[in-house]
Amino acid sequence: MRVEYINPFVEAAYNILTEVLGGQIKRGELYLKSTSMPVMGVAALVGLAGDVEGRVIFDMNMDTAMKIASQMNQEELKLFDDLAKATITELANLITAQAVTKLHDLGFRFDLTPPALFTGENMEISDHEVEALIVPMETSQGRVEVNVAIRDRM
Amino acid sequence: MISKQDFPTINERAPEGLKADGNPFRVLVVDDSMFVAKQIGQILTSEGYEVVATASDGLDGVEKYKELCPNVDLVTMDITMPKMDGITALEQIMAFDKNARVVMISALGKEELVKKALLLGAKNYIVKPLDRKKVLERIGTVLGK
Repeated sequence: MRVEYINPFVEAAYNILTEVLGGQIKRGELYLKSTSMPVMGVAALVGLAGDVEGRVIFDMNMDTAMKIASQMNQEELKLFDDLAKATITELANLITAQAVTKLHDLGFRFDLTPPALFTGENMEISDHEVEALIVPMETSQGRVEVNVAIRDRM
Repeated sequence: MISKQDFPTINERAPEGLKADGNPFRVLVVDDSMFVAKQIGQILTSEGYEVVATASDGLDGVEKYKELCPNVDLVTMDITMPKMDGITALEQIMAFDKNARVVMISALGKEELVKKALLLGAKNYIVKPLDRKKVLERIGTVLGK
């Protein structure tokens, strides 16, 4: 995967997480996966189609999702209800919008799907013929993995 | 004896959401995200504004505007929504009431759509993530505060 695709998502995730959560955000070591991989429990997926194609997943465990949703709402949420889901979906929207603006500025043209939110245990994701690059972001609320699988359109 | 004058007044400023007659400005919030609608509502009500209704898509927004008019002073309008997008909803509201005051709420990267909205009559725009100060400043400007 070309590095031009990943950097805007890393920068956008860092900027937005810092802005909406406050506190210090640390970027972990990137790693590459080409086989199926487990998803932590709450995953917001945004699809991309155009000059490039693929998807981005913002992946976290339920405890982190609840803490992030609570922080963004400035109140302690007790359940992963519609409001909590809308909050995590909005977080994915904000990060993706900022990343895509950078990619558009670099000349890439593509459309996005609205985020789809997956929740559950023992989930796995497989990307056929696209390797995924994962960027862990450590927040005060827990780890959020930005999982990017994008390729040039064939 | 201690009189009232002996205590410093810590908040002399009147809430921005109140009109000169003391009644609140009435706002219709149109946004498909429950989170964003709640966030806008909290920011506005904390300054004395009244959220008279919320709508979760453009179509519902237009209908609610028509029902409420003239008892609504401002609309906050998301751009990307199901059923009817915010640009079409803005057009329909402006066709119904040319004096409508609509403020667009946009994600980053929608500059072309924001420009289009301003040409169609939107009075201002706010880019997400929402910042309390920025929201109050833009809305206050539109309402001539």
